[in-house]
Amino acid sequence: MIFTKRQLLKNSVGLVAVSALGLRAGQSRAAVSEFRMIEAGGASGESIEKGYIAPFTEKTGIKVLRESPSGLGKLRALVESGDNSVPLLEVGSPELYQAVALDLVEPIDWDVVNPDPIFDEAKHEYGFGYQYYSTVMAWGEGQRAPKDWAEFFDPEALPGKRSLPDYPSYILPMAALAAGGSIENVYPIDLDKAFESLERIKDSVSVWWQAGAQPPQLLQDKEVQYAASWSGRVAGAPGIEFSYQQGLLDLAYFVVPKGVDPELKKAAMGLLHEMSVAKNQAVAADVISYTGPSTELEQLLPQDRIGEFPTTTANKSVQMFNDGQWWFENADEVEQRWQEFKLTL
Amino acid sequence: MNSTATAFIRPRRPARLGRLGATGLGFALPVSLFLLVAFDVPVLMMFGWALTSAKGMFAPFVEFFTRPAYIKVILNTLRIAAIATVSCAVLGYVLAYWLRSLSGTARLVALTLVVLPFWVSILVRSYAWIVVLGNNGVVNRALLDLGLASEPVAFLYNDLGVVIGTTNLLLPFLVLPLYAAMIRIDGRILQAAETLGASRWTIFRRIFFPLTVPALAAGMVLVFILTLGFYVTPAILGGGRVPMVANMLDMLINRLPRWELASAISILLLILTLLLHLLYVRLSRQAGN
Repeated sequence: MIFTKRQLLKNSVGLVAVSALGLRAGQSRAAVSEFRMIEAGGASGESIEKGYIAPFTEKTGIKVLRESPSGLGKLRALVESGDNSVPLLEVGSPELYQAVALDLVEPIDWDVVNPDPIFDEAKHEYGFGYQYYSTVMAWGEGQRAPKDWAEFFDPEALPGKRSLPDYPSYILPMAALAAGGSIENVYPIDLDKAFESLERIKDSVSVWWQAGAQPPQLLQDKEVQYAASWSGRVAGAPGIEFSYQQGLLDLAYFVVPKGVDPELKKAAMGLLHEMSVAKNQAVAADVISYTGPSTELEQLLPQDRIGEFPTTTANKSVQMFNDGQWWFENADEVEQRWQEFKLTL
Repeated sequence: MNSTATAFIRPRRPARLGRLGATGLGFALPVSLFLLVAFDVPVLMMFGWALTSAKGMFAPFVEFFTRPAYIKVILNTLRIAAIATVSCAVLGYVLAYWLRSLSGTARLVALTLVVLPFWVSILVRSYAWIVVLGNNGVVNRALLDLGLASEPVAFLYNDLGVVIGTTNLLLPFLVLPLYAAMIRIDGRILQAAETLGASRWTIFRRIFFPLTVPALAAGMVLVFILTLGFYVTPAILGGGRVPMVANMLDMLINRLPRWELASAISILLLILTLLLHLLYVRLSRQAGN
């Protein structure tokens, strides 16, 4: 699934012609007054608005237009159609490696970003890791708490309906862990074992969710008793308990679509700088309990609900970190086996 | 002023109309051009992805046919579409028959109720089914309170949920043309049968029903075609357990992104739909006669 440049060019000629008719926005100008960004949407989008865009616009006068949702499909469409008006687009960690391999992104200008101190994994050549989020076990109030994924994946030990992500990269590590092993050696994932765990539990799974809003709603409606959910969706939600124990920590990145207007890119690097500032990250974390990459963020977070955040020292130490490189290398096999598994439901 | 202008123009109008309207092409030209540029050309370009894949001209098609998962999803889509079509036909026929028996205001009110759901978004209606049919929903609570069930019935997040949602959304597409065909039936034919001593059941079976079959069949083909492309309903009411082709295409386009394969699958789906459409055109012509 790797494209040669010529291939991309050939396919995009027509689209370029169409976009030349007037779809192009944000032409190269001396002074940038606004740019577009594509992000995940929802409360996460609001956290970007309050935490980062607000101080950025105040400083520079540049407006930022948010669009959502994001995805590799949109990135590919932007690049192949020659639309150069979007300097920032959000991707998950497995998508980052795929975007690089497909030649859809250009390097971050780290000299211009000039970030405050942030964790190393957030400083990727092609991506600015701006937001940590976890996939965690959650359950309805009053249910017995699972002590680990092995118990979560055992419908006899822990009776009740489940809701699991309809995304292999957010559930296979847990499924592998349920079959034995520890969070340190979950990668490389043993796919046979992981799918065995899923086979064992599939009859108890009512809903394979695609939207992050689904699991908290399903738990509150008592449609399911247990769910694997994104942490920010269940942290502080009424009637829901959750645990970071063996959670899957992940980092969302902003990338720069290839061929973007250089002026817009330069302006966007200024917004990335705002994303590295601990004070701004604390504001964003107040909107949704995902955390930015600053090494100094922990003491700025509200201490009364410090347990809600995925990257505090206590929470980070009990979780495993998602390995985007592994997902990228095994994408084809995973996708095929996932599709086949889903057909046996 | 106005009338003189009209009078002045009037003599010229037939000639111009004749030129433009001889084949109808003149009237169809603007919209045809628009569709050509805004729809047909992009669709053809999309097909180009499948045919100019880096792996070879027909590589995406080969991949499709050699991977059982993709074919199984298509077959599952056809199966769901068939079930939804039959349930639409059964419910729709009864409903249209009942509508025909109503008179005046009652008929108007009932028809409005049939059309009303068209004004509500598909998304809202699909979510509404969760409120109605969920474990904690109206129906299940009633069943439990009345002692008719000991635990909640699983209406949602399975084939049944998708079929219920799809049937609800597509029922008007079948009912309205069927109702139109039913009221076109000449009442005197039925009276003639009655005077010859036929029972009501015989009249229905040998006269009324055969006269409505073409409209019913056309409506069924239409429902089947529309179900093939359903995305929202399986996504919400299927709970990710009912794989259908539109949801698979979404994954191939937006998540992976494997546009070549998505394009190949779209081409095959379009061919299938066109064949069904031919059938629909033939059937609805018959219904028109």
